[in-house]
This record gives sequence, structure tokens and C-alpha cells, in this order.
Amino acid sequence: MSVKAVTSARLARVILFIAMLLVVTPLIFQLGISFKPPDQVFTNVLSPFTTTPTLENYAMVLRTVPIVQYLWNSLTFSAGVTLGQILLALPAAFAFSYYDFRFKNFLLALVLLSLLVPFVVTYIPNYLLLAQLRLVNTVPGLILPMLGVSLGFGIFLLRQHFVSFQKDILEAAMIDGASSWQILTRVVAPANRSAIAALAVYILINTWNQFIWPLLVGGGRVESYTLTVGVQMYFTNPEGGNVWGSIMAASVLTSLPTILMYLAMRKGILRTFTEGAVKG
Amino acid sequence: MSAAHSREGTRRLSLRLGKLVPYLYIAPALIVILLFVYWPLARTFQLSFYQGNLINPFRSYVGLGNYTEMIGSSLFGDLILQSLLYTVLALIGSVLVPVSLAFLTLALTEREIDFYQSLLFVPTVIAFNVVVLIWAFFFLPTTGGLFNTILGYFGQQPRAWMKDPLLALPGIALIANWKVMGFHFLLAIAGLRAIPREYLEAAYVDGASGWPLIRRVVLPLFAPTGLFILIITLIGALDAVFTPIRVMTEGGPNNATNNLMYAIYSEGFRFFRPGQASALSIILIILFGGLIYWQYRLFDRNVTYER
Repeated sequence: MSVKAVTSARLARVILFIAMLLVVTPLIFQLGISFKPPDQVFTNVLSPFTTTPTLENYAMVLRTVPIVQYLWNSLTFSAGVTLGQILLALPAAFAFSYYDFRFKNFLLALVLLSLLVPFVVTYIPNYLLLAQLRLVNTVPGLILPMLGVSLGFGIFLLRQHFVSFQKDILEAAMIDGASSWQILTRVVAPANRSAIAALAVYILINTWNQFIWPLLVGGGRVESYTLTVGVQMYFTNPEGGNVWGSIMAASVLTSLPTILMYLAMRKGILRTFTEGAVKG
Repeated sequence: MSAAHSREGTRRLSLRLGKLVPYLYIAPALIVILLFVYWPLARTFQLSFYQGNLINPFRSYVGLGNYTEMIGSSLFGDLILQSLLYTVLALIGSVLVPVSLAFLTLALTEREIDFYQSLLFVPTVIAFNVVVLIWAFFFLPTTGGLFNTILGYFGQQPRAWMKDPLLALPGIALIANWKVMGFHFLLAIAGLRAIPREYLEAAYVDGASGWPLIRRVVLPLFAPTGLFILIITLIGALDAVFTPIRVMTEGGPNNATNNLMYAIYSEGFRFFRPGQASALSIILIILFGGLIYWQYRLFDRNVTYER
């Protein structure tokens, strides 16, 4: 896309480079401070680097916080929501893409409009519902309402990819006697596996990063803290003294899984989302 | 594949697959959405006519009492004003900045674009409260805080950033937009990629370049993507700033960072007044109504329904 004439290339490069530095700087400090000896955090504030890096902060976090428990909660919470949303969205997107039926447009509108209800508006009733079911401070309680909250997006995104799929292939499969379920599981889903995988990673990262909801529903009991909630508690209840090293270490540990996932799937994620949005 | 062909294909598929089948495929998703989005929404509406606490939210029926209390409170005007003020900041940080940066990439090579796109996207995959923790170090009110250290080099007194009514909102806005910007940058680049290269080259051959080329050729072709980014920003702005407020200021100092969406949370889970929170929720929904309708129209236009 390098249409050199569009802007002065050199100026554009300078501005983008500065913007990139501004975005990356806090991340460098996050990583840098996590390796600084605690007594150096405030001695040379402007430098995130140290000549004597230490793992002391990480050891401190692992020693004082039940991080394995948090990790497990974050993992089951994210995996549950991801698996549930994909299993719900796939058949729905399939039906919205390839079938004609009464109320189709109305039902699709219902699905899409659900995205526009702010989560905060449903916090109290969902909380009360979970309290009734005795699911407050449990991982299933965290998962259930989240299944519905952004489900419409998954259905919308998958449908965007399904509708551009060659219908001739589906017809050929039908002539061969395949049932609609077989068409979904053996033809449509495999053919769109990169979009499904990108959506799954997106839901996984998004759920992993949830904070307010797990704080409300799981914040009452250490056993149901997710990593994000655990890190926050670390911040608001610092055991005195200089805790920035361990805060940054804990935040690196929390961010590592999603960043690694992003790096591994980068191309697929960027492509699926840009196609999903622009094709729209 | 022509549209007529495609429609014909859908019809033939439908005939063979039976009438009930599509509903069965949709039912599980629809039930979950009804149960955890629309049913709670209806309950919120019901709750807005009662007062009570989180244990017994339906203690007493007060009619429109919660609405008159909320709208009549001295805070209400501020909440509306601050919601608008923050939305303006979000339009700058989450629309103007990322879209401008994306336009600048027109001068870059594919590899450079890939580099910037990947790096600017990183904040998107970090948890919001973790992002706030990192920035909290920058905004520390003590002399050791990063921003205060920089001020110190210029002989300035340290500032209590998040306790200063003038500085708190811009500070919160910086954090929220830092997090959201990369995603919108990505969308903007995708929108630019969708513009056929030949158009740009043809315009260039015709002698257009620089700002006129952007304004006359690129911007009109970019408009659908731009509109999409604009709308997700308008709808998501208060949501995006929610966690920074919750973690850093709780709406303060003196309500300087409070807004409609955060006030719902405050009423419900800090003051334990579900009725008042629900009334504010319904007010928020109504105010967003126009916006939501607009968004729906956008989906409606862009999604190709097969009838």
C-alpha cells in the first residue's frame, strides 16, 4: 500500500515511531520494574533498567499469593466461556447463514441488539440470579452470564465468514446425502477453522482479562479469585513497604498467557478481525 | 457468485433441510441470550420501581420515585455533562489519533505496517486492571512517581494527579485510550487496505497528492470504516473508562471522573441501592437508544440479508 505520494514519508515515519514509543514505554517499565531489586525502584525512576536484575519479585509473588489457584480459576473461567460461546455460536451462525425461515431477521436483530445492552446494566439482576442459584463465589457462576453477554458478536463474526462460503460445495455435500449437522461439522466448520480459532482466541483473551465481573461474583472468597482479581487485591492490600516490584511481577505473570497467545496467533487474529469488520 | 444465484442456493438448501431445523440450531444461543441479557434487562426495569438492598431488592414499591430522585439529584446534570465530556476525549483518543496514525501508514512499506500494527495492538491483549496498575506507577502522587520525577527536573512541585479535579479525567482518559487505540488502529488499517490501490494511483497520476488526495479520494472511500470506528467508540467509551475509574478514582475527586455508567455501578455495589442503580440503568438505555438505533441501522445496511 506504499503510495509514497500520499504523505511525506519521512514525517510519517517519525510520528509513527514516536507513537509506538509512547505505547510501548509503559510495557517496558512493567517488565523492567519487575526485575528491579525493590530498593532500586525509586532510586532511578526514569530508567526501567537495572544493572543487577533479580527474580526476587517473582519469588515474592509466588510465595505470598496462591497464584496456582488464581491461574486455575482464570483458566477454567476463560476456557468455559470460550468453549460455551463457540458451541452456541457455531450452529446459530450456520442457521442464520444458510437457512430461510420465519422471523429470521427479527431473531438476528435480537441477537445483534443484545450486544448493545451494557454489561453493567445487567450486573445486579445477574448477581441476584446467581445468588438464588447459590453460584456466587464459584467459577460456574462466573461463566454462566458471560456466555450470553458477548455471544452476539461471535454469531455475527462467524456469519460474516459463513455467508461468503461457496454454497455449491454445500449443495454437493447434500446431494451426497449429508445431513445438515454433517454439513456443519464436516464441511462448514473445518473450512472456516481459522476464523473459528481466531474468535476462540479473542473470547479467551477477553474473558481472561475480565476484572469487574469476576470481582463482583468471585471477589468474596480467595478460592474464586481470578488472576486479574488476585493482582488487584495485591495492589489494594500491599503488605507495607515498597511493593511495586511485586505488583509489576504479578502483572507480568497475569499478562504473559494472553501476550503469548496473541504472539502465536497474531496473523490469524489480525486478519480475521479486519476481514470481519471491513467485509461488514 | 451472483446474488440471485446465491439466493437460489439458499432456497434450495432450505427446502431440503426441513422447516424446524434452523430454529433448533438457533435455540441454544437464543435461550442463553434471553436468559442472561434480556431477562436481566427486564428485571432491571422492574427493579427500577422498587427500593431495597442487594439481599431484598424489592422491599418497597416506590413507583417513579427512583427516577425523580436520580434526575432531581444535584449530581445528575454533572453525570450527563461528564459522560459527554469523556466521550469527546474518547473521540480524540480512540478515533482521531488511531485513524490519523493509520493514514500515516500509507507512506510505509508492508513490513513496517505489520510492525506497527503488531506492537500497537499489544495493550489490547492485556487486562484492563493490569494496564491501570502499570499506569498507576506513572501517576503516583509522591515525588517518586514517574510523571512527578519528570516535573521535578523542570523544577515543578509534585502533583496528586488523580486527586486533582482538573487532572484526574485527562489522566483516566489517557489510560483508557492507550488501551483501546491499537484495536481501532488495526480496524482503520484494514479499512485502508480495502481501498483498491488503482484508485489511489489513478488519482496520483491525475496530479493529486498530499492532503487533497487524502481528502478527496482516501477519506470518502474510508468513510464506512471510519463510521464503524466512530460508532463503536461512542457506544464503548463509558465502558472502556469503567475499570480505570473503578481502580484509580472511584468517580472522584469530587465526582470529577464520575459518569452515568460508573454511577450505576456505584449505586448498586458501593451504596447497595439496586433500585436507584436500575433507574439510572434505564435512563442510560433510553439515552443510548438513539445511538443504538443508529448502530442497528448500520448493521442492517452492512449485513447482507438473504431473503
